[in-house]
Amino acid sequence: MTATSTSATSASVPGTAAPRLLHGVGARALEWLSANREQFRARTDATTTRVEVMERFKPIGELAVIGKVLLREGVAGSEQAVLIRELLDFAWDDLLEGGELLAWVQRQEPMSPIPLELYVPFRELGRQHSDLESTVRLAHGLASWGGVEVVPNRRLGLSRVESRAGLSPSIEPDEALRRTWLGRTPEPWTVEYHIAYDVTHTVFHRTDWGEHPEYLPADIADYLARWLPVWLDDWAELRQWDLLGELLVVDACLPEPTLDAGLWQRYAAAQLPDGAMPARDDAPERAAAGGGGGDGSPGEGGSPGEGGADPAELFDWMYHPTLVAAFASVLATSRAMTALTGPSPEPR
Amino acid sequence: METEGSGTTSRLADVVQEFASAVVPALRGGDDRFDLLGSVLTQDDDPLAAAAVRVLAADALAPCLLAEKATSERDVLLFRQAIDGYPPTPDAAVPTVWSHWGMRAALGRLHVGAPGGETHQHTAPDTAWVAAQPWQRMTHQLAQLASLALPGLPSPLATAVAARPVDLARGFVRAVRRRDWTQAAGAGRWLTVTPGVPSSLGLPAGLEFVRHMGGADARVALHVRAAQLAAERTRVPSEASV
Repeated sequence: MTATSTSATSASVPGTAAPRLLHGVGARALEWLSANREQFRARTDATTTRVEVMERFKPIGELAVIGKVLLREGVAGSEQAVLIRELLDFAWDDLLEGGELLAWVQRQEPMSPIPLELYVPFRELGRQHSDLESTVRLAHGLASWGGVEVVPNRRLGLSRVESRAGLSPSIEPDEALRRTWLGRTPEPWTVEYHIAYDVTHTVFHRTDWGEHPEYLPADIADYLARWLPVWLDDWAELRQWDLLGELLVVDACLPEPTLDAGLWQRYAAAQLPDGAMPARDDAPERAAAGGGGGDGSPGEGGSPGEGGADPAELFDWMYHPTLVAAFASVLATSRAMTALTGPSPEPR
Repeated sequence: METEGSGTTSRLADVVQEFASAVVPALRGGDDRFDLLGSVLTQDDDPLAAAAVRVLAADALAPCLLAEKATSERDVLLFRQAIDGYPPTPDAAVPTVWSHWGMRAALGRLHVGAPGGETHQHTAPDTAWVAAQPWQRMTHQLAQLASLALPGLPSPLATAVAARPVDLARGFVRAVRRRDWTQAAGAGRWLTVTPGVPSSLGLPAGLEFVRHMGGADARVALHVRAAQLAAERTRVPSEASV
């Protein structure tokens, strides 16, 4: 990197972002998600296989988790609140067939934690499916359930999912946290693209998707307060909007979020007119050209495969960063409003 | 026939590498005397010799400043030529002005007499930029002034840097992530003489990482070795936890 590239772009606009800027990103993202909701569909007809269904569970699961966050934070405005409710109703009643699809997959693959991960946010919103619950309880009682091999940050997430579903966690969350990359608070200069995603997901899981920032142990919160500004600055400069969005969520989960105005302005500027957030700067062109050469799964900053810009492909390219934009926006807005209206509600 | 311009620039870069390559082993050990000109092929009457010393600034005598080696008369003469031959212009950039000051301070410190007397007591250049600049730019400039990061050399610059250890550490992380080994090594050198650096930075391992990845550049190797030497000498208090 040359000397001329060291201009301090993130610090060029001092101060924190205005709530209006923060809120606007999420409002536009939600409009896109709502307009494109059909693309979340998992089972198109009776011939859809279990593997095909489970491939679509990732987007639906993320929609469920983030939709619940949006409802919870309650700062989305009344128009958005209607859109979110409609989206979640659609996801449960239509996409998941009132939970039937989850129960079906759980019976097909009893040790899979995926249906439960999707189910928990809906359960917390008052939806229930008794057959799914009994299959999960049966599986959860087996030694096999807690032994299923997953990466450490997902194991942490599963520990929280179990607790939230009223089951005993297979591992205590704090122990699971210490097994993650972030839990070891390693040398911050070793962070690379995939490690950065491990960091963001560890924070999402430990804080119940921003609901409990106080669950983050003080040493890890301090570590992030120290080094997150470097990673934010770097991935903003690399114009990796999906990862930047996730890192902005992490910022909003810290005891003293920076809500950096300069970073948020750049993030907002990357959003497309229809509300979609590209994973990277060249995302729309690549999607239109059917270009490949991504560096991750389509959902997390990758690029679509061959075949031009059909709506399904565009959706796979855009949905994850757009959900992240809605997530980052609502958490940051909530923190900014809290800062405006009074003292921190949750002493650590 | 070499023409003015890029040819000279690239030869200067070669001489700088040659000189830095002579400094590094002297920082590692060897005898009690450092003889730069006796360790290189470049002659002292080569105009690029003084220019290369000006580039390395006080680091041209680093073994004398950091490892208490005796100077050679020829080296000191060349060092003075570099100071006198490249005086900073009134509109010179911050690194130019400060490295010039650092060279004069080095001469004073080595008690070998400096042009104009006790020049190390001369008014130091401005330090307001250290507090004013964003951490990215501050680190970039400080890395260019790593020759001033000497243990036991109190300077207004070191005092200013001491107010921003976390920001400097962030700059180190940024430089390593970008594989800008020269900047990382220079920043790392400042960090070793600055109190309050977060222990979660992993500075000793970071310096070793920079040396391994970027040490083919003798200036990177020089900075890392100087930093490690400084760390051995000054156990600056770091933070207790993260």
